[in-house]
Amino acid sequence: MTELHRRSSAGTGGSPPGISRSSAAGGGGRKGGLSQPAGWRCLLSFTILFLACVCGFISRLFAVIRFESLIHEFDPWFNYRSTHHLTTNGFYEFLNWFDERAWYPLGRIVGGTVYPGLMVTAGLIHYILNLVHLTVHIRDVCVFLAPVFSALTAVATFLLTRELWNQGAGLLSACFMAVVPGYISRSVAGSFDNEAIAIFALQFTYFLWVKSIKTGSVFWTIGCCLSYFYMVSAWGGYVFIINLIPLHVFVLLLMRRFSKRVYIAYSTFYIIGLILSMQIPFVGFQPIRTSEHMAAAGVFVLVQLYSFLQFLRDRLTRQDKQTLFSVCVCVAALLLFVCVVYLSCIGHYAKIHIPIIASVSEHQPTTWVSFFFDLHILVCTFPAGLWFCIRNINAERVFVVLYGISAVYFAGVMVRLMLTLTPVVCVLSAVCFSSVFERYLSDEVKQDDPPAEDAADEEDKRNSGSLYDKAGKLRKHHVCEEGFGSNIRSLVIVLLLLLLLMFTVHCTWVTSNAYSSPSVVLASYNHDGSRRILDDFREAYYWLRLNTDQHARVMSWWDYGYQIAGMANRTTLVDNNTWNNSHIALVGKAMASNESVAYDIMRLLDVDYVLIIFGGVIGYSGDDINKFLWMVRIAEGEHPRDVRESDFFTPLGEFRVDKAASPALLNSLMYKMSYYRFGEMQLDFRTPPGFDRTRNAEIGNKDVRLRHLEEAFTSEHWLVRIYKVKDLDNRQPLERKPRSSCSPRMKHLHLKITITLKNIGA
Amino acid sequence: MFYKLLIVVFLAVSLQGAPADGQKKKETLLSEKVSQMMEWTSKRAVIRLNGEKFRRLIRAPPRNYSVIIMFTALQPQRQCGVCKQADEEYQILANSWRYSNAFTNRIFFAMVDFDEGSDVFQMLNMNSAPTFINFPAKGKPKRADTYELQVRGFAAEQLARWVADRTDVHIRVIRPPNYAGPLMLGLLLAFIGSLAYVRRNNLEFLFNKNVWAFSALCFVLIMTSGQMWNHIRGPPYAHKNPNTGQVSYIHGSSQAQFVAETHIVLLFNAAVTLGIVLLHEAATSDLDVGKRKIMCVAGIGLVVLFFSWLLSIFRAKYHGYPYSHQIQSVSRSNGHCSHPDPVHIQPRWWIST
Repeated sequence: MTELHRRSSAGTGGSPPGISRSSAAGGGGRKGGLSQPAGWRCLLSFTILFLACVCGFISRLFAVIRFESLIHEFDPWFNYRSTHHLTTNGFYEFLNWFDERAWYPLGRIVGGTVYPGLMVTAGLIHYILNLVHLTVHIRDVCVFLAPVFSALTAVATFLLTRELWNQGAGLLSACFMAVVPGYISRSVAGSFDNEAIAIFALQFTYFLWVKSIKTGSVFWTIGCCLSYFYMVSAWGGYVFIINLIPLHVFVLLLMRRFSKRVYIAYSTFYIIGLILSMQIPFVGFQPIRTSEHMAAAGVFVLVQLYSFLQFLRDRLTRQDKQTLFSVCVCVAALLLFVCVVYLSCIGHYAKIHIPIIASVSEHQPTTWVSFFFDLHILVCTFPAGLWFCIRNINAERVFVVLYGISAVYFAGVMVRLMLTLTPVVCVLSAVCFSSVFERYLSDEVKQDDPPAEDAADEEDKRNSGSLYDKAGKLRKHHVCEEGFGSNIRSLVIVLLLLLLLMFTVHCTWVTSNAYSSPSVVLASYNHDGSRRILDDFREAYYWLRLNTDQHARVMSWWDYGYQIAGMANRTTLVDNNTWNNSHIALVGKAMASNESVAYDIMRLLDVDYVLIIFGGVIGYSGDDINKFLWMVRIAEGEHPRDVRESDFFTPLGEFRVDKAASPALLNSLMYKMSYYRFGEMQLDFRTPPGFDRTRNAEIGNKDVRLRHLEEAFTSEHWLVRIYKVKDLDNRQPLERKPRSSCSPRMKHLHLKITITLKNIGA
Repeated sequence: MFYKLLIVVFLAVSLQGAPADGQKKKETLLSEKVSQMMEWTSKRAVIRLNGEKFRRLIRAPPRNYSVIIMFTALQPQRQCGVCKQADEEYQILANSWRYSNAFTNRIFFAMVDFDEGSDVFQMLNMNSAPTFINFPAKGKPKRADTYELQVRGFAAEQLARWVADRTDVHIRVIRPPNYAGPLMLGLLLAFIGSLAYVRRNNLEFLFNKNVWAFSALCFVLIMTSGQMWNHIRGPPYAHKNPNTGQVSYIHGSSQAQFVAETHIVLLFNAAVTLGIVLLHEAATSDLDVGKRKIMCVAGIGLVVLFFSWLLSIFRAKYHGYPYSHQIQSVSRSNGHCSHPDPVHIQPRWWIST
């Protein structure tokens, strides 16, 4: 770990001097006549970039080194299972895959409801490796896909920043991107999720878009479309691109920076991108139907109109009317744009307030602590980068400004979207640091090495040709060349480098402590620092796999659906896809009702086993009792007459599990299953038997008796408990049997009746 | 015989007639009461009751309607802040019912103010306000007919659910739209429009980069300091400990924040940004060297100072964070980082889109 640590700090910390050295080496190289300065620059940039990639790759391997090469968390298990299906059955079979093991009894059409980019990428890499006889298991490809793609993201970020500012900023941004926690959170080894490859596609698409509006060539635009296609196939976040690029074009139009180049780029991008994106089965006709895509269409129409008017204006004389008309069109389009955005925002807001969405911890607004945690120093420096970009605005910097502002808004609304903010923060912070370092380091060169001054100036002048926006700044900088003493300069540089060093240290710490736990395997630390592995999840899932019928149906809360399907290979009722709220509510109702009601529901759903997560023994806070209120809420949303949230609180409005708990909770299936036989268990001598460590309470019902369920399996630390649903009881013997069966007792009865009848007759 | 028959007939008629007469009387009384209630309801959605009215209309037996009553103390001298808020919500609920299509005379909304009907409070043995009680059409109020204000809060939606629960009358709460937001937006737009009109000959200010850059910066700083969280969650400005009277501005947990805290963070972030910009300006501006030196030192000072303060706030909130200030962090960095508590792993569970 320490080694990784040093590497990563060397990677980022080393880059700012790298830039200075590149100019210093340029001067020195010329004097010595060793080679062309461009050659040195190139080699140095390449080395730094390479080191950034390597360091980005390595710092994501904590989980693999500490545990093993395994798939993390929840969603990745589904992706892994689909990839496995793809590699064993082929692509077309995958596209037509109907999964009858999920959402019993409904099933799920997988081929049409996933973004296939991730699976296809992993499958392709697996295929190629096998083609060259490197026999790698598909699981390892899946585990290491995210780190590999994060290295590629660093390269893509370098390219984007180089287009926007200069090479030095590009290198810095690549280094930031390689280690920033906001991105590592979704791309550690084993987190085999859509976001892992999508951020690469996002950055690469933006790079190609900037390139294509700079050059106006169809070649780059086609590249941009292909990259966009890859993004669409990988992640639902492509909507961000299809709104941001039109917004950019629209703002350019307002700023009167609209040119033929932009026209060519946008027209090509919109049409080809639209056609390509519609090839993904899951997306289908959405791009021409839904409101999220309407802004792009509106801007496309607007651009065509505007260009047509310009074309007319070249030929007609009544200019005033024309400009008036174009203003009108602009205003109308603006109104349209605002309306569409407003509508989609409202939809977005409505979505937040559905309980199932609110129950997910990632759909919460973001506190400043999570901003700081994920970005550290960059959160304060990226506004400065934004400032520099706006002060030296040009067509492509408009893009990065819009990107920054929109992404920061979305990140504020939802923690999860921090992921889209992170790349632009890296770019803008790199701009900020690079422009400060450039001033303070290049001065130093001039003072330390007066003969090299001319050479450096010459170089600056040459640069000013290519980086046209910097010409003004450089001249100014030339004026104040006599500058302040080297003391102040070195102080500034050392302090800024220290900040960057702190950043890398922070990144490594965060990666190691917060983002590298697989959550399938838990680890705890004893007081002497030794580590204890809690492998209960896999133990239990493997038990299911070996000891139950192949077609057994397992009921659990939806969080564990993908894992059960992936690891135990058993049929589940609900899973993390959550497409059917009422089905989930039914499961929630079963968990929240008393045993006999729950039994009816479970009979209805053909449940064979029930799986719950119980953390009371080891103090695991993410267990089902802690999620229980969400189950109740979701169930109440669909069955308000049968389940009421208020029943599960004490009269004082508390949710507690001890003696004061509400009777509804004490009798609920979830409570009974969690605490079955727990009352007999004394964890240590200071606490009474049946003491729940997660909630720090002695449980209220120590003598739990189950009638329709029986305990089938409990894992080592009681983390996973599995219950078997008993079959119906044998029928009660009937009092009266049908006539045809002539038992002696029956005959006797018969006799009696005839006698009474006779008596009446008499 | 004839007399006998007559007497029997008379008796039969009188026996038949007496209950019928009582029934009629009851019915007229009932319809009188209902029409009285309807008349009041048509005047205002929540009927104000005093002791006498309460006894006549609610307590006295013939009744085929439920009445929801809010017992409250709205007079200013009572200083009941909660009562006012609860009253607003209650009015919303009552108005939603009053103007809905499903409006019938099955249920009425009423209120008793302590200063108008203190005898009612005594009669029901009640000593806290506000309290919501449902008087059902048949029988006396049971335990569940008293609304659990502590548990469920007094939002109109919650009240409506409780009402639906108790009386089977479903009320869709319609809040009067808040016109303040659009109005402000309109005013702002009008202001900008008029400004543009006044200065129509000189639209240079639209091209002023500093203005645009400054507003972009403001937006970014507002967002990164978690104001959106405040907007959605509505936390208190700061927390005052009722026992010691000490005011804490920083929330102790990393999962939540106070408004004051976000303002502090906003300020610190802005200071660091300003420091960096100053550093850059110091190197590029045309001023004389002395001034630029001051700018430079001030810039780096701002960056270092405010960033370390920011870090210390973060450290106070995020328990177990090992790095504190600038210099120490470097020496500590190769130390071991271990979890403070046995299992500190919180699962992130989410939905695939």
